Amino acid sequence: MTQELSSLMDGELDGPEAERAIRGCCGDEELKRKWQAYHLIGDAMRGEGPCRRASTDRIMAAIRQEPTVLAPRRPLAGVAGRVAFAAAASVATVAVVGWIGMQDRASPAGPSIAQPAPAETLPASARNEEIVLASDYVVVHRQMPNADFYRPVSASAVGGR
Amino acid sequence: MKGRLAAVVPWLALGLAAPALAAPGEDPVAWLQKAALSARETTYAGTVMHVTGDRTVASRVTHLFTGGAEHEKIESLDGPRREIVRHNDDMQCFYPDAKTVRMDRRVSARFFPSLLNGSPQALAEHYKLSLGSVDRVLGKDCRWIHLDPRDTLRFAQRLCAELATGLLLRAQTLGARQQVVEQFTFTDLRLGTQVSRSELKSTFYAQSKDWRHDSQPLDEAKSVATGWVVGSPPPGFRLVGEMQRRMPNKPQPVSQLVFSDGIASMSVFVEPLNNPRRVAEAVNEEGALSVFVRPLGEHLVTVLGEVPGAAVQQAGRSVAKQQQVASGGK
Repeated sequence: MTQELSSLMDGELDGPEAERAIRGCCGDEELKRKWQAYHLIGDAMRGEGPCRRASTDRIMAAIRQEPTVLAPRRPLAGVAGRVAFAAAASVATVAVVGWIGMQDRASPAGPSIAQPAPAETLPASARNEEIVLASDYVVVHRQMPNADFYRPVSASAVGGR
Repeated sequence: MKGRLAAVVPWLALGLAAPALAAPGEDPVAWLQKAALSARETTYAGTVMHVTGDRTVASRVTHLFTGGAEHEKIESLDGPRREIVRHNDDMQCFYPDAKTVRMDRRVSARFFPSLLNGSPQALAEHYKLSLGSVDRVLGKDCRWIHLDPRDTLRFAQRLCAELATGLLLRAQTLGARQQVVEQFTFTDLRLGTQVSRSELKSTFYAQSKDWRHDSQPLDEAKSVATGWVVGSPPPGFRLVGEMQRRMPNKPQPVSQLVFSDGIASMSVFVEPLNNPRRVAEAVNEEGALSVFVRPLGEHLVTVLGEVPGAAVQQAGRSVAKQQQVASGGK
């Protein structure tokens, strides 16, 4: 199975083989971690942007929803990172999950304004990552908050009438 | 005087309120004008299905135009119950589960069939406008209006306007491969006198008197200078709202700048990041929605909207702190 994963990553599998590998990967915790690790290693070797795939566990914990779309997508030109979407159960929200790579302690704090983040080449072990939930922004943009979104806001700012 | 009257009389004879409601013929701009006017200034009620990706959400819209103002009620039919009662741009949102009425002002919300804002002529600058075939939707004849983008910074739109009233019966957003990425459609519709004024009242009107009333969102929606500017939004996207929003799990207010090109919109959010750190840019598109995340010094910029990824990137990359003239000046 490990070999299959590796082949899948290299785009050597097609049709039923790829399907089996994908299914195997997503159904098994150990293989999921391997899949992730391979990509981190691959990214580091290519010197590409950080954290193209964040910890699946952490994403799951963060959005508390079964993501329906986490398939690798074609990254847009010039963009190091990616943002993944997942469908949320709620009517008005689409959960949007972005993850951010941090270059901790390897650079002076307080980067200058508007300076783009340089491509990171730190080994995977030196990386830390943070998930940014953008789903609330979808709610604000559409002006259709759900009750979960709404309560914390109202709790601090309700003037009864 | 006599001449002017003579010019007006034929419209009155046809029972039409104004020349803007004239038969639009083969002019797509006139069709768009008629569609926008009809969504605002006619009376209708029906069920709307909103499809994005594999998700379908049903709601019921009831719309009246009286005394020169729009009155609208939108009820969710799927998921948690909620209602929005809208008077022009002022919205009251009823949340029975939270026993809360939330007051807000429409800035970026899209309510089908009122998808168009601004002038249709302005749309022509950034979309190639054309008319398609006559189709049949809900047993009514409608004419397709095609809006094809002149650049890669907006999606194609297909609007089907009912022949007699111009009201949109269906609206589709097309992706880069001309696939439908988002669709609104009426699945039943009553027009004019078939709709009674009493239908507008919120189902929760009586019981909501004891609920919490939160007018903070309305206060927030008042335009304020956030101190941020978007230097080069995609062409045709103009600033339609600038405010500071309080959000759950965020200790400090978030700046929001809303841009629209007349049919598509995007919001630019800027929030302080507590720990300065280097972050990577990230973008993705899903259906009609795109999001772009970008660090900016000690802030995080998030841009999202119903536009292609390239558009949120362009807007997001040009966000900057407004140049201060001098503190205390002006």
